[in-house]
Amino acid sequence: MDFFRKTLDPVIALGAIAVLDIFLFLLVGAWTVGGGETMMTGLIAQFFIGDSINQIPFWQEVFKPDAGYWKIYISLGMLFGAIVGAVASKEFFWRFPKRLSEWVMITVGGLLMGIGIRLAFVCNVSTFFGLTPELNLGGYLSMSGIIAGAWFGSLIYKRVLEG
Amino acid sequence: MMSPVAECLIAFVFGSVVGLLVQRSRFCNTAALRDAMLFKTFRNTKALLVAMMVLTIGFTGFISIGAGNPMRFDVGLNQVLGLFLFGTGMVLAGACTVSTWVKAGEGNFGAVWALLFTFIGMFLFSLIWSFLYWPPAPSAMTGELSIERLQLGFSNAETLQEKTGIPAIVFGLIQAAVLFYIYQAIRRKETKQQGGTGVESI
Repeated sequence: MDFFRKTLDPVIALGAIAVLDIFLFLLVGAWTVGGGETMMTGLIAQFFIGDSINQIPFWQEVFKPDAGYWKIYISLGMLFGAIVGAVASKEFFWRFPKRLSEWVMITVGGLLMGIGIRLAFVCNVSTFFGLTPELNLGGYLSMSGIIAGAWFGSLIYKRVLEG
Repeated sequence: MMSPVAECLIAFVFGSVVGLLVQRSRFCNTAALRDAMLFKTFRNTKALLVAMMVLTIGFTGFISIGAGNPMRFDVGLNQVLGLFLFGTGMVLAGACTVSTWVKAGEGNFGAVWALLFTFIGMFLFSLIWSFLYWPPAPSAMTGELSIERLQLGFSNAETLQEKTGIPAIVFGLIQAAVLFYIYQAIRRKETKQQGGTGVESI
């Protein structure tokens, strides 16, 4: 099947995703990832620390752990879809970062993404595929932040690449 | 009103299609910004702009007739600061929220590691929030400007339509036109880079 042999034009892929996102917007709400990841964090924390999570106000007032939160399943679906795509196109294989600098950048990057999402209440997906197309003021604020952050991150990335 | 199970099922089907399409197209939101800034290549940037154009017209069109489920929460300085941290982090990690899941599905352990530390970052922030109580929790949001809480309130296509009496789609079309102008400028730049041959890079 050609679909699994050739790389799909991202303009076509994102155009199709946008149309599906409009249907999702009509049914439950626009595509987002950060909210689902936060809920997963709460559920994982609850698994490890049990009822002690109730002593952390954030998990009572902002995100009460709930496995029935629909946004979790978008992320799990993306993982499933990617596995199907990678296996069917014979592109699945285990890859590990080779250099210590890569491990450090991924660790710091992951931490900053997690803190950033929760500080902003939104992620990159909500910014570009939800808030901004809804003409939400938060979308424009988030876009200014992510563009400045990507520029700053690119400076560091370039320095590491050159170093 | 949809049942929670139906909501989760729809979300999973949507996510699965997105995961498949992103995996097959190699789209990456990080690359859409990083590559445009560092390498002056726009493969992903153009796809992002097309999606935003379609979504802007679709969302504002439905908002005009009172349909859809737009996000409603107060915004302020925390969006700028939070996404600045996020933008820096995604370039360092080499993946955003979508590509971490997609690359993890391809067997990329670096993406799994980034995801793990995203969760840890979220948990750390939950501890910080529990001392600061800022930004305000959804239950404490007022929708109004609050200087002391560094919040600008809430505004979107719906409120624009209510305040001006102009259908939201009109504002949506203006935004889509701006996005199209940027898209065209990128295409012109690419054509110039290729010596005016008009052959588009992949």
